[in-house]
Amino acid sequence: MVNRFFEHHDYGGSLEYYIFELANYSFLVLLISIFYKLRFININSFIVWSGIFFLPLLFNYFIFSPFLYPDQFQYAIEVMSLKTYGISTWNIAAQEATFPIVENLLSISTHPITFTVSLLGLAPIPNYMTVTSLAFANKFFLFFSFLALKNFFKNENILLLFFLIPSFLLYTSISLRETLVILFGIFFLLNMLRDNYLVSLALIFPLLIIKIQLFAFFAVYFIGRLIFRAHKNFYALIIYSSCILLTGFIFEEMILQVVNYYRIGFAAEDMDMGNGIYGYYAFALYGDAESLTLHSMFELILVAIIGLPKILLMPLPNTWTNIFYPIQFLESIFLVSLYSWIAVKNNLLRNQEFIYLSFVLVLSLMLYSLLAFNEGTFVRYRFSLFLPFIFAIYYLANLNQADSSKNKIK
Amino acid sequence: MNFLQKFDIKGKISLLKEFFYDYVWKKSLLNLGIASIVFSLGYIQFTTPQFYISATLRESQASTAQGPSFGGGAKALLSVTSSESNISDEFKSNLFSYAIAQRMWEKGWATQIYAGGDESKDINKIDKSHTISDRISSFLLGYELYDYYSPHDLQGFIAGKVSMDKRFNATNITVSMRAADQSFALNFLNDLILDADKYAKEYLILKSQAIIDGTQKQLVVSRNSAIAASLAATINGEYLKIATLENDMPYHIYFIDPPYSSEYPVYPDTFAIFLSNLIIFIVSSIMFHFIRDNKNNLW
Repeated sequence: MVNRFFEHHDYGGSLEYYIFELANYSFLVLLISIFYKLRFININSFIVWSGIFFLPLLFNYFIFSPFLYPDQFQYAIEVMSLKTYGISTWNIAAQEATFPIVENLLSISTHPITFTVSLLGLAPIPNYMTVTSLAFANKFFLFFSFLALKNFFKNENILLLFFLIPSFLLYTSISLRETLVILFGIFFLLNMLRDNYLVSLALIFPLLIIKIQLFAFFAVYFIGRLIFRAHKNFYALIIYSSCILLTGFIFEEMILQVVNYYRIGFAAEDMDMGNGIYGYYAFALYGDAESLTLHSMFELILVAIIGLPKILLMPLPNTWTNIFYPIQFLESIFLVSLYSWIAVKNNLLRNQEFIYLSFVLVLSLMLYSLLAFNEGTFVRYRFSLFLPFIFAIYYLANLNQADSSKNKIK
Repeated sequence: MNFLQKFDIKGKISLLKEFFYDYVWKKSLLNLGIASIVFSLGYIQFTTPQFYISATLRESQASTAQGPSFGGGAKALLSVTSSESNISDEFKSNLFSYAIAQRMWEKGWATQIYAGGDESKDINKIDKSHTISDRISSFLLGYELYDYYSPHDLQGFIAGKVSMDKRFNATNITVSMRAADQSFALNFLNDLILDADKYAKEYLILKSQAIIDGTQKQLVVSRNSAIAASLAATINGEYLKIATLENDMPYHIYFIDPPYSSEYPVYPDTFAIFLSNLIIFIVSSIMFHFIRDNKNNLW
């Protein structure tokens, strides 16, 4: 047969859908029961994780349509295709995105969807049958990350609270790559703070495939910390930032070209003129590329600084179109407040490590602010960038407290 | 203290054993396991298996005009076989059109689909069933429900059941459908594809005949020799088109893979249903005992 590709059967919100996903939920609940019995988690964690695991069943089809995040279907179909025939779906296979490790023997897919589902597909959940199955795979890895994070944070209950942040609950309950992105980010930063450079390096390489911009941001942090020692000395940080600025001016033309390309691309994607005229087609008819084009590095910096408050607080009230937007707006305020509160409460404002972390975070957010035309997408992007930094400064606060206690004892 | 001592591997194994004997090694678990199999068997009885039937087609290639050159006629011939980019769009429009549904209706497919294959029934008098909510709505809002099925229903059936995919930058077209009755679906899909292709040819023949009729009228009244020559060339071209189209060869597409049915049904997945129910029932039993034993800790 010519048509050898995987044929997806969409179970929709049928009874079978709930049977398959309830089996996945049951498996995860059994897992935490065993971990509770083995005393790896306390009773609070057991109760909360029973609830967290249930969320994928509530979100898709029950609270909202899975088409609210239509990319989920691509991930779900790809994982089913890989598990059924061992080959990608035709549209992904056509892109031929692979990187050979051993000539003709071993290669890894560099396609973000294939790479993501290859990792998520390792979760030993019973079924990969519906659009929600990967959400349970996400939960599986999330739970093991929670266990691993207990090595970094002594207070299990406070750590548990971080896993109850609404966006974290939402993005880990749908079949997208955000869970992996956030987890790689968290473990990268925590290992960096422990000076485990090799482990950190291994952790940011997957980001090169699944979220290249986050890889770039963390690479900036990695280089500054390893080579310039910007986390030790304020002057080193100034030298490092001067180097970044200088590099920016040297490669001005190339940087502007890349930024403008993505800036216009995101603006075009978000354009909707009504009557079915939207996206690139609408932009081709009515878009004004010139007004979006940045002409110099100074202009780029200025626009990025002006856009910073917007990216921090988005989605702003004038753009609210569904029930999640006000929740996410309040959450944005909460996260910025939490970041500031942890820093103030633990006297981190003069801590060079905190200053350097905040510097990289602000730099990354500034770059995002240049491209933030699609609210939904950039709220998600911002969250997957911001959350690892919150974990990092909380870890820093714990270290600071431990140091203070030691000094007091002395 | 090394890692293994810190991990207390012996202690963990004994806890794991305890968990196994307290919650897993139970008669109730076996009973629920058996109950899950019974439940799954019962559930599967209420599902209808669906097979995946697909055909792979390929757009007909442009053929170059051979033979003597006859000006406008050759141009007209080329226009018949060119514009390949529109071939799949045109074929798709025909596939889901009312005209094709009507042809399929007249061939008796309505009897197969709506009257359970009872050929003694008049195809225009097949009773149409309506849901209770449809009846209530029509009663409340005061509109009439149709008593019999019509070609419009068949058109809806085709649009809902049959799908056509053409991959980006490819010339292969896949037409597919899912059905419980393999032989019905194989014949239906085959007939549908051939009719959709044939309809395009017939339309072009009719169009050419209409052009010939119109042009001939103009030719009779024409006094200018140049115009008369041009009109004659147009008539030649249209006759050539008709000659090219009046055969049994496919016009838009030809079969690479004729309609083919999957060996196994794509729905339901019996193994997944059995496994899922088994897991749900067994874990429910484990959790029941687990929560009962730990209720003091839980609240």
